[in-house]
Order: sequence, then C-alpha cells, then structure tokens
Amino acid sequence: MRFWRVIEPHIGFLLQGFALTIVACLLAIVGAVLLGALTASMRSSGNRWVRGTANAYGDVFRNVPFLVQLFFFFYGLPELGIYIGAFETGVIAMSIAGGAFVSDVILSGILTVDTGVIDAAKVSGLSRIKIFTRIVLPIALRVSVRPMGSILINLVLTSSILSTITVNELTGAAKIVAATTFKPFEVYAVLLVLYASLTTLLSFAISAIHRRLNRFMMGG
Amino acid sequence: MIVAENVEKRFGDALVLKRVNLRVEPGEVVTILGASGSGKSTLIRCINGLEALSGGKITVDGHDVSTKAGLVAARRASATVFQLFNLYPHMTALGNITLAPIEVLKLPKAEAEARARALLDKVGLGAHAGAYPQQLSGGQRQRVGICRALAMQPRYLLLDEVTSALDPEMTGDVLRILAELADDGTTMVFVTHEIEFARHISSRIVFLEQGELIVDLPTAQFFAEDGGLAVPRIRQFLSKMKKD
Repeated sequence: MRFWRVIEPHIGFLLQGFALTIVACLLAIVGAVLLGALTASMRSSGNRWVRGTANAYGDVFRNVPFLVQLFFFFYGLPELGIYIGAFETGVIAMSIAGGAFVSDVILSGILTVDTGVIDAAKVSGLSRIKIFTRIVLPIALRVSVRPMGSILINLVLTSSILSTITVNELTGAAKIVAATTFKPFEVYAVLLVLYASLTTLLSFAISAIHRRLNRFMMGG
Repeated sequence: MIVAENVEKRFGDALVLKRVNLRVEPGEVVTILGASGSGKSTLIRCINGLEALSGGKITVDGHDVSTKAGLVAARRASATVFQLFNLYPHMTALGNITLAPIEVLKLPKAEAEARARALLDKVGLGAHAGAYPQQLSGGQRQRVGICRALAMQPRYLLLDEVTSALDPEMTGDVLRILAELADDGTTMVFVTHEIEFARHISSRIVFLEQGELIVDLPTAQFFAEDGGLAVPRIRQFLSKMKKD
C-alpha cells in the first residue's frame, strides 16, 4: 500500500509531534480556563480598577493576531532579558490568548446567575471567594461550557502555529516529514485525521461536562 | 437584640426608609406589615447587610452591620429566608443546607449532614435530601430554604414574604413550620401579607407606610379598636387585605 509505505518510516516522529500537541493543548486549556475564570471574576468586580485591568487584558489579546502575540513572546521578550523555551512560550501564549476569549463566555454565564442566589450566599456568611467558586462559577459554567468548547477546540487548532517558533508539534513534525518525503498529500492526510480525532474527543468531553453540569436542570 | 436607629435608605432620589426605629428582643416574633413598596423588604435587607444604609445604624447583638467585622458577626447571628427561595440550583437539598455550616461554621461534613437530615425530617422532606431544587415544588423549596437558614442555628430568623410565591396549600405547610418555630421560642422578624397568621404568632406588629414606621404595638393592641385600628391607614390596609 503506497500510502502506508510513505508514512510508515516517519510514524514514530509524527506521533511524537502528536504527543507534544496533546500536552501543549492540555496545558493551554487548563491555563486558558483558569485565566479566563480569574479574568471573568475580575470583570464582574465592583472595583473599577480591577474591572478595567481585566477588560484591558481581554481587549488586547482578543484583538491581536495570535501569530503576532506568539512572535512577541518568543522574539520580543528575550530583548528584555526574559528567556523562555519555545514549548513553554507556546503554552503560555495559547493560555493567555485563550483566556481572553474564555473570560468572555464565563462572564456571560456569570451575568445569568440570579442575584437572589448570590444574596442567599452572602447572608449565610460565605466569603467572596467561596461564593465565586462554590456558587457563581458552577452555575455560570452551566451555560458557558458549550461556547467555551468552541474556543477550546479553536485553541487546539491554533496549536499548529507553534510550529513557527520551532516547536515540532504535529504540524511542525509533518512539515519536516513532507519536506523529506516530498509526499505532502499523504503526510497532511494523516494530520487531517489526527487533528479531527483530537477535536472530536474534546467535543465529546465538553458534551459530557455540559450534561454533568446541567444534571440539576432535570425536573422531577 | 436587633436595634435599628433612625435608619434611612435611599435609592437615587427616592427615600424608601425614613428614620426607622425598631428593636427586636430575643424570643420575640415581630411582624412588619405595610403595602407593597412601603420598605418592608428593604428594612430586612438592611438588617442582613444586603443594602448599605444611607443613614442611621443597625446593630445585631451589638454588632454594627455597617462595619465589615460587625456584618460578619451579624450574619453569624441571623439567617434569612427569601420570598423566591433563592436556593443554589446546582446543589441538592442536602447540599444547600450543609454548605454554610461546613464552610462558615467549619462543622465536619458528617455532622453538618446529620443536622441537615434532621431538619429535613422535621419539615417532612427527609426523602428529598438528594433532590435538586428544580425537582421540588414551591412549598418544598421554601421548606428547604427554612432548613438552610435553621442549619446555621441563628439567634434571629429574618423572613421576607416567604409565602408570597406559594399557593394556599403550600402556604399552609410553610406557615405550620413557622408556627412551630415561634412556639419553640425562635426570634423572628417576619415580613408578610398573611394577616391572620401574623396575628396568631406575632408578639408585636409594626406598620410601615411609605418608608415610615408609623405604628409599633403588641399584637393584641395592634388589632384593638382603640389601638392600631384607630389609625385610619391601618384600618384601610387591613380591610383591603381581608377583601383580597
């Protein structure tokens, strides 16, 4: 089989790249969700400085191309004496860019939380942090998790750009294999399947989380 | 003791509480009556610190609710039951009741759950501990709301029109529980339109009119011809409530 004959010698290298993509995406997803939740809480704060700082972060990182952000971190920061490895730079840049979008959907979820529920939590003596983590965030995520899923899937697809800063994740590895074999059709066909598998899995996970978070909406 | 002194609350240009003075002694059941918009709920929200005062002072057991430390202490001493239940929708009845005892009172989970189950049994919801609010009727939700408040073992129970969103049968269930609490000596500040119930369980009734506390009398005196009923506005209010 011609297809397999082309891919077989390079499958290990491609899978290494795939593993790097998975690790980078998992770390970036965790980073983006944590940063997004923190920023959303800041954007719903009563303090205008806190709110302004969070809004500025969101505005900047939503409105600048990811490639520019990535180059800024990778090529720009060393000029300030800040040296971070390519992989770490990629994960941090994806987390920061993703967090800006995630904060938007979590904030819209927060705005759906009934103020009466928050009042009940306040009068029971819960701290602000407990109110946010135990009451507001779980309720907000109920409506936010689906649109957040789209953002996270986009983040996975965006990971292919890390190949531009020397990270040999899946796309980076594929570029090398394609250049070696002169068989881009076969190589990129493998990429199509692997990226589609990854995003499909993520999509299933998001659906499962959505069902779990909304189990309390089932009437008796 | 809950003490409100010259309490004022302003929303924009509207002064909704005008120099209100109120004292609630331990063991008393004080009912706040008044037409819609008279400031009853706002007064409750000022006592539990959900609204900042525009003037005056409120203390709960000597703790000034307008200071941060005072508010924390006041909220430890009191608990509120809301008109629209305000249960945490993502938590079961048990979760709703145990959250604050575990997080605020630092009770061990097992103890908090045992206390919650005992309360649920008391209000006839023992079999519904694992139900989410969405799976309960209005009356059941309000009973969970009462359990949630009682689980904090408050010295004062603030009840803000707790039966307004319920049908007559569910109202009866909830009022029966409140009557039992009153018989047990629970101190309550009770905003309601249930006049007959208020007459039955209250030790005192205060009447708010457009943000002003115009009458504060022992219950028997409030309903006496030469007491509260001698005030034309109260007579008019009570006769309208009877017609409704």
